[in-house]
Order: sequence, then C-alpha cells, then structure tokens
Amino acid sequence: MSTRSVPVSAYRIVAGILTFVLAVPGTILYLASYFWGAWLLAGACAAYLADRVLELGRPAFFSLVRSALRRSAMPAIGIVAALLLGAAIMLATGYNPLSSYKALFYGGLVRGWSVSVLNATPLLFTGLAVAFAFQGGFFNIGAQGQYFIGVMTATWIGLALKLPGIVEIPLIFVAAAFVGAATNAIPAILKVKTGAHEVVTTMMFAYAISTLSPVFIRAFGGDPSHSMHPYASDTLPEAAWLPTFKSFLPEANYRLHIGIILAIACAVLVRFILRSTSLGFKVRAVGNNPMAAKTQGISIPRITAASLLISGALAAAAGATQVLGLDHRMYQDLGAGYGWNGISIALLARNNPIAIIFTSLLWGLLDSGGRYMAMTTRTPNSIIEIVKSIILFLLLAEMLYQRIGLSLRAAFSRLRRGSDARTGIEKEIGS
Amino acid sequence: MKRFVIAVAAAVLVFAFGPGAPAFAQSSKPFVAMCTDTNGLGDGSFNDGVWAGLKKAEGEGLASVKVLEAHSMTDYIPNLTGLAEGGSKLVFGVGFLMVEQIQEAAKDEPNTFYAGIDDYFGGNVPRNLIGVSFREQEAGYLAGIVAGEMTKKYYKNSKLLNDKNVIGAVLGMNIPPVERYLAGYIAGARSVDPTVDVRFITVGSFADRAKGKEAALALNDQGADIIIQLAGLSGMGVIDAARERKFFAIGADVDQNAAAPDYVLTSALKGTTMSAYLLIKDLAAGTLKGGENRVFGLKEGAIDIAPFHQFDSIVPAEVKQAVADAKAGIASGKITVPSTLAELGIKQ
Amino acid sequence: MSGFAAVLLAPQLLEATIRLSTPVTFAALAAVVCERSGITNIAMEGIMLVGAFFSAYVGWLTGNPWIGLLGGLVAGAAFSLLFAWATVSLHINHVVAGAIMNILAFGLTRYLMMVCYGRQGTSEAVPLTLDHYRLRVPLLSNIPYLGSAVFNQTPLVYLSLISVAALAWTFARTRFGLSLTASGEHPMALETLGRSVYRVRYQAVLLSGLLCGLAGAFLSIENSNSFTEGMTNGRGFIALAANIAGGWQPVGVFLASLFFGLVDAAQLRAQSIGLIHLPSEIFLVFPYIATIVAVAGLVRKSRPPAAVGKDFNVEGGGD
Repeated sequence: MSTRSVPVSAYRIVAGILTFVLAVPGTILYLASYFWGAWLLAGACAAYLADRVLELGRPAFFSLVRSALRRSAMPAIGIVAALLLGAAIMLATGYNPLSSYKALFYGGLVRGWSVSVLNATPLLFTGLAVAFAFQGGFFNIGAQGQYFIGVMTATWIGLALKLPGIVEIPLIFVAAAFVGAATNAIPAILKVKTGAHEVVTTMMFAYAISTLSPVFIRAFGGDPSHSMHPYASDTLPEAAWLPTFKSFLPEANYRLHIGIILAIACAVLVRFILRSTSLGFKVRAVGNNPMAAKTQGISIPRITAASLLISGALAAAAGATQVLGLDHRMYQDLGAGYGWNGISIALLARNNPIAIIFTSLLWGLLDSGGRYMAMTTRTPNSIIEIVKSIILFLLLAEMLYQRIGLSLRAAFSRLRRGSDARTGIEKEIGS
Repeated sequence: MKRFVIAVAAAVLVFAFGPGAPAFAQSSKPFVAMCTDTNGLGDGSFNDGVWAGLKKAEGEGLASVKVLEAHSMTDYIPNLTGLAEGGSKLVFGVGFLMVEQIQEAAKDEPNTFYAGIDDYFGGNVPRNLIGVSFREQEAGYLAGIVAGEMTKKYYKNSKLLNDKNVIGAVLGMNIPPVERYLAGYIAGARSVDPTVDVRFITVGSFADRAKGKEAALALNDQGADIIIQLAGLSGMGVIDAARERKFFAIGADVDQNAAAPDYVLTSALKGTTMSAYLLIKDLAAGTLKGGENRVFGLKEGAIDIAPFHQFDSIVPAEVKQAVADAKAGIASGKITVPSTLAELGIKQ
Repeated sequence: MSGFAAVLLAPQLLEATIRLSTPVTFAALAAVVCERSGITNIAMEGIMLVGAFFSAYVGWLTGNPWIGLLGGLVAGAAFSLLFAWATVSLHINHVVAGAIMNILAFGLTRYLMMVCYGRQGTSEAVPLTLDHYRLRVPLLSNIPYLGSAVFNQTPLVYLSLISVAALAWTFARTRFGLSLTASGEHPMALETLGRSVYRVRYQAVLLSGLLCGLAGAFLSIENSNSFTEGMTNGRGFIALAANIAGGWQPVGVFLASLFFGLVDAAQLRAQSIGLIHLPSEIFLVFPYIATIVAVAGLVRKSRPPAAVGKDFNVEGGGD
C-alpha cells in the first residue's frame, strides 16, 4: 500500500468527472453558436489530458502525444495543401482567393455556424452508415436510397399516429431504422446468394426509391385540388417535431434541432459496437481479411448481412432526423447528395466513428461557408466541390508522401552517385 | 375581417415604434434581389424568367438588382435572410420548395418584402410576404389551341406538320404545376377539335436531356407533329428532337425560340418575368402591399404565349383570332380552364 | 393491344434502343477494359461528364464538332490519367478513388460552366453537331427493319459498334488483350514474365478514359448540341451494371447495354400508348429494377477477373 496510490486514483476520478461535466455542456453550447462553450471544451481537454498523464505516467504520455501529433500532421497538411490548390485555381480563373476564403471561413464558422451544424446532422448519420459497411468490407453506395426510406417512414408514422412526442419520436426512429435495415436486406441477400455486387444493387435501389417517392408524397400530400406544393407531403403535427436548442438556449438559431446531439450519441454508440462487442470484432475481422475471418469460424454471409443491415438503419435514421428536426414533412429528392457526401465523410475519417463527427462538421461548414462566399463575393460555389475532392485525394494518397520522400532521397543519391543511378531508374521505368 | 384586423394591428405597431419600425416607403432606387432554387440560373425557365423581370426593371431604372444561387435546400434560409441583411428591400424566392423557408425568412427580416414565386401561403400571411402563383393552365390552353388548330386544319401550311391529328407533351415529373400546364394544353386542343389525340410521356427528371429527346421522338413516331416541353432542362431534348426529326416544339415558361428558331413554334409563357417586374414597379412606386397571395393569370396580364417569330406567316389569322378570343374569354371569366387531368376525365 | 404490339415491333423502337444504349455501351466497354486489367472503375460517370463538357466547349470555340470530339477525348484521357495515377501509382482503393473522381467531375464542370460561359444550366450551342455527318450505308440501309435503325446512323453510333468488335478482337487475339487479362487475373505472373503491370493498367485506364470521352461527346455534341449540367444522369452506373451483366466481355456488355436501352425505350413508349393507367413513376422505375434483376440473375454465370479491385504493388509483391 503506497501512500501515493490513493490520491492518484482520486485525482483520476475527479479528472474523469470534470472531463464529462465540461465536455457535454461545452459541446452543446458551442454547437448552438454560444462560442464561449469553447472554453468549457478546452477545460474538458485539459482534464482529459491530466487524466491520461496520471494513468500512463509522463514518458508514455508524451510518446503518445508525439504519435498523435504525427498522425494528425498529414490531415492538416492535406487540408492546407488542398486550400492552396483551390486558391491557385481561383487565381488562374480570375477570382480573388483571399477574400473568398475569408468569406468561406467567416460564413462557415461564425456567421452561418448553425447552418453548418444543420448540414452536418444528416451527413453524420450517412457517414456512419457508409463507414459501418466499409468496416465490414462493403461499399454502401446507395445510402441516399435508405435515407429516403427513413424520410418516408418518418413521414408516414408522423402523419398516421397522433401520440405524445415522447412516445412517438423514439417510435419513429426505431421504425425508420428497422425499415432502412429491411431495405438493405435485399442487396444483402443478393450479395450473399448470387454475389451481385452491392455497388450496383444499392445504387440502383437508391435510384428506384427516389423515382418512386413522388407516388408516396402524393398519397400523403393533402388535397390535390388546391395544393400548390405537390412534391412536399403534409406537415407533421408539432408533437412529433424534435426539440430545438432554442427551447433551452434562447440565443440559438430557431431552426437548430437536437438531431446533432442524437447523431453524436450515435457515433459514440457505433464506436462502442465496433470496438467492444463481439459483433464489432467480427465485422472488422471480415473487413480486414475475409479468409482469415473464415478460418476463425466467423460466418461471412451472416456478417455481410449484419453490416449492411446496420448501415441501412443508420442511413434511415438520417432521413428520420431530417424530417422530425428540420423539414417536418417530406420533400422530393432533389439530389441533395447525402449519400454521396456520406461516402466522402466516411473516407476522410477513415471509417473512424469519432472522426466522422469532425469530418461531417468540416463538410457542413464548407457547404454553408461556400454559400456565404458565393453570396458576398463573385466566386462560384462549385469551387468548394473541387476543394473537397482535392482534400479527399490528398488525405487518402498516403503513397504520395512516401513517394515524395523517396524521390527526394533518390535525388540526393543521384547527386551522390551521378549518372549510375539514373540509368538504373530508367531501366526500372522502361521495363 | 381577420386580415383587416391584422393590417390594423400592423399599422398600430408601425406607428408605435416610430423610427425603429420598418420604413417600407422607399427612396428612388431600391435594391432588389432574387434567390434561385437549386436549379440555378440558366434553367431556361423559372429562375431565368424572374431574373429577366429583375433585369427589365433595372433597365428601366426602377431598381438595382442581384441574384444568389442555392445549391441545396439548407441554403434557402441563409440566402433569403442574407440578402435582406445586404440591404435588399424586396427579395424574390424562386420555386415552391422554398415555401416554408421564405415564411421563416419573412418573420426574421420584417423590414424586407419577400415574394415567393410559385408559392401559395395558407393562414396568416406576414405583412411583408407575398405569395406569387400562376394559372399555368391558361398558358397551356393557349398553346393547346395553336397546336390543335395547326395539326389538323392547317397542316399543309408547313412541311413540319403531318396529316395525323396527334399532338404530344413531354413532362419532367408528375407534379401539379406540370399537370396544370398539361390539363390546359389538352383542354385547349380539345376546344378546337374534340377528336384530337394528345399523348404525353413523363421523363422522370428535369435534367436528363437525352431522355427528353427520346420521349419526344417516341411521340413523333406515333404521329405527333407538335410537342410541348414541360420538362425543364430535359425539355432541351424535345427541341433537340424537333431539330433532328423536323417537327414543331412548343417551349414553356419563357420564350424558347432562340434555342431553335426554325422549330420552336411558340412558347407557353408563365408570367414569371411579368410578375416580378410588376411587383418591382409597385415597390418603386411605394404601393407594394404584402400579406397576401397574388395569382397571376391572363387577367393580370402576366400569362401569354410567345410570338410566332418566323412562323407568323404560316399561322393563319383564324388561329390568331381563336387565341385572342380565348384570351378574352378567360380574362372575362367566360372560359374556365381545367387544372387537373381528373377534370378532363383522364385517369393516371 | 394491337397498337401496343405495333409500337413495340416498329423499327423506331430499335432505333431508340440504339440511341439510348450508345453512351452506355461506350462506358460499359470502358468498364470492361478497366476491370479486365484489374482496376475497378466507378469513375465512368465523372469522366463522361468531363468529356461531354469539353466536347461542347471546344466544339463551340472552334465551330468544328470533330475538333470538339478531339477535345472531349483529350479531356477524358487526361481525367482518366489522374484516376490511373491515384489507383495504380498511389495505391488508393479503386472504388474510393472512383468516388472522388466523380465528386471532382461534378464540381469541375459546374465551375467551368461559370468560368467559360458565365452561367449555369446549359452551355452555348455548338454551331454544327456530329449529327450533321449522319451516314446512310448504301445497300445495307435497305434491309427491312434493321436497315433504317442500324445503317442510317450518326458517326459515334457506328464507332460504338466498331469499338465492340475491336475490343472483342483485342481480347481474343492480341498480345495487348492477353496482357490486360493477365494483369487482371494473375498480375504477379505477368510481372515475372517481364511485363509491367503498372504500364498495362495505365494503358487500360487511358483507353477507358477515351471511351468515356466518346460517350460524353455523344451526349453533348451528337445527340444534342450543347452541354447541360449533370447530363450523364447516372449512365455511368448503369454501365457498371451492364459490365457485370455482360460478364466482362465486350459482346456481352454490348448486349446488356442494348437490353437496358430497350427497357428504357419500351417504357417511354408504353407510357404514351395509354394501354394501362398507372402512375408514370411505375414505368420510370422499370429500368432500375431490370438492372438489379439482370445483375443478380446473370452474375453467377460469369466470374469477375480474379484480381479486380485489388491493389498491386511491385515492391510488395501484390496484394
């Protein structure tokens, strides 16, 4: 019994509680555009780091920090490089990159932060959907379709049942997730039974669902004889709407709903499933190496089906959140691209659920900031799409950096060894 | 009565708050802006139509103008309110998908007028909000008269026409404004010849030009020699088909003659340009009133069909007279144009 | 009923089928070349879009559709080289790289519309389209039924037929075709024979870029006269399905593309005859369902190349 052990664990408990107590309100305040919530978040970070120091001891902690910094260096460099390339494109085509970027970040981070958060909410769900399938080695390219299934289910139940919100809202989410999973059952069965590639089947399902959605809207579209807004359904009763931040934070934007909190909670849940349950272990095993998983006695068809079903449920939850939180009705598909953007977000986060929280916010802020930029400068919004794809490209091209490193080294050795090395390289390329 | 109470209440508020209250009576040259829907400018339709109205007003020195394009539905509110913050006195929101958003924006920015093009507001309309909708069926009706007359009685006037009594329509998606156009078109054609065969195909997208073309060709294969496009950018394909197969296309929303002067017979004009222009004119004169829905049709001088341009000589005076008679009949209320296919007894 | 049969049996249906399937055929051939060499390509949609834009832009600038076509080919090739670099040299997952290329293509064409034309939606019309060079083959065009549909066509339609035959021959008879197949089946074996897998795959992606450029040019300057944003409207993904349903064979994917074109042409006609009264959406969804059924039903009869979608790294000795 050392005299120091008791205080250390006590400190750790305090630090843990402090982390949680500061992080939750800090996040909520910050998301609601109460920017001083950042101080609480900083405090939470400090408490968390203190806890880690106490847990690991100083040398181990600092080596951890160093490796974390090293890991985050590449994304940071990638984003900066993408912005620079975007600036070069703007310069080459006659737009002013400085004023454009100023407007982009002011619009995305400050002025239109609530819009950034609203944009990020469905994207966080679809990003998780795509990532979960990816973890199991599958490419759910049709998250857009499952999103619309979620929208339809939420609209249908929201209009059909008149229950108190506290019962109805959870019920709608459960039903939407269930129906979304059922939608993906067909591609899952086709994949397992016939080997039909999920890229084709989920994509075609997405097209089919968005083509058929007007039939659904007409069925729930009120009186057609004087309806002016046909590709929107009736409005849901207010009881089924998600609460807004404004109901407890008066300064918050009145459209901002608690969907983002649900989405973040969902990300934590997905992380828990993937890291700490046997299902998650099996999904990752199949995703990493199906042959090895098979030899370990994991049923590959069953895991394939499970990961596609959960992915469908998550994408449908995105649709339900959008209906209950923001739209309060169903709109026809206008190619908003939640499915496609979900792919980008999952890729950028390397399918890490916690990282998806940040990448979806990044995408959300690029969208809303880009809009503000187009509003206040002449620069067309589409430059943002270009910058986004460059960011993706640069962050996923690890080899690029190895290449640059190698070629730098090769250049040095060429300098040292003269023409000898050159002929060697030429031979290699010419083969 | 209710509206009157609200108006009085609003007036009281305006006076009560004095200088802080909205000052709607404007100086000589107000700033007017529009916010497109996700189709953006260059849609050859709505957005372009409203923009033309703004440009027309600017050309006459009534206002200075600006346009802002939206790329997703979440853009709408920030665009609408942002323009007001930028000093716009009247903001046009284009497309009926903005219906919810423009009401919220109007609540947020009480000092700016908002006009929702293609919107109809139920309940209490905020006093700075105007719903602008159209009787598309009336434009469709006029086009239908021209098509119905030309395809049967006067087919010998142009070698683009055949002896079959068939005309066609290509629809983007099956939605009410499109249905209203179509219902009017069919009714117009039937008014001159009840035996006319009107065939139509839905493409399923407002942006698939190749499919729009294929639909028009399929109709032409079935004998349709005059085809109206009600399909947005897919409708460009109808004009492509007319050029290739040599038949007549009828444009919609704006005068589309320039897209193919040798094949676009006329266009059914939805009064987006005129309605925007008329509202700006009211604003400049200080007589713009909010808090109501305004439905623009023939009577209001917004809806019409485009001139026949180079085909003026092949369209006989009788047809022009029939169009003029229909206009007078509709404006005076003698003719009521159906607005749904169900009214025409067509099942879907 | 007889009216329906008459419409479905008319030669015009075949004509429409060919027109609708031509861009899909080009893109599906692009998919075959790529996948046979071991590269999974879902970027066809984006490459087509870029090809369509540059065909229309160069055609408009020069006034000559043939130079426009060349512009589309060069743009398609350049864009596909970026894809090849990402997948072959940088070893990014193929599907991931393809998804990024599609996002880039949509953003790029929208941006270029603003830069080149100062507006969005539809570009300026080219003064002359490739349709102007429609060719009626003297004797063959008199064959009943087939003649008017197949032998009175526009240049790129003929080129698509020639491409099918040429690629079928390439795969069956040439050393290059053999290398492509080897690169997709046993890249390591090809490498030990002294042929560079990287080089073969670069060539395959480049060829697919040219084919997608042709598909794009067909849409913008042959079938119509200008570029419209998003005018590919999912054809690149239908092509992916055609590639699988056609069993990774040029002739097979040609037949699959024709089948998809036929379903689309038939549903458009079925709508206007008024035989059955259904919401138009029911007709419109038919091609997608047909695609799923074709892929699920036919995929078991053939086998994808063994190494398709797998990264190959010379240093690492393959995946």
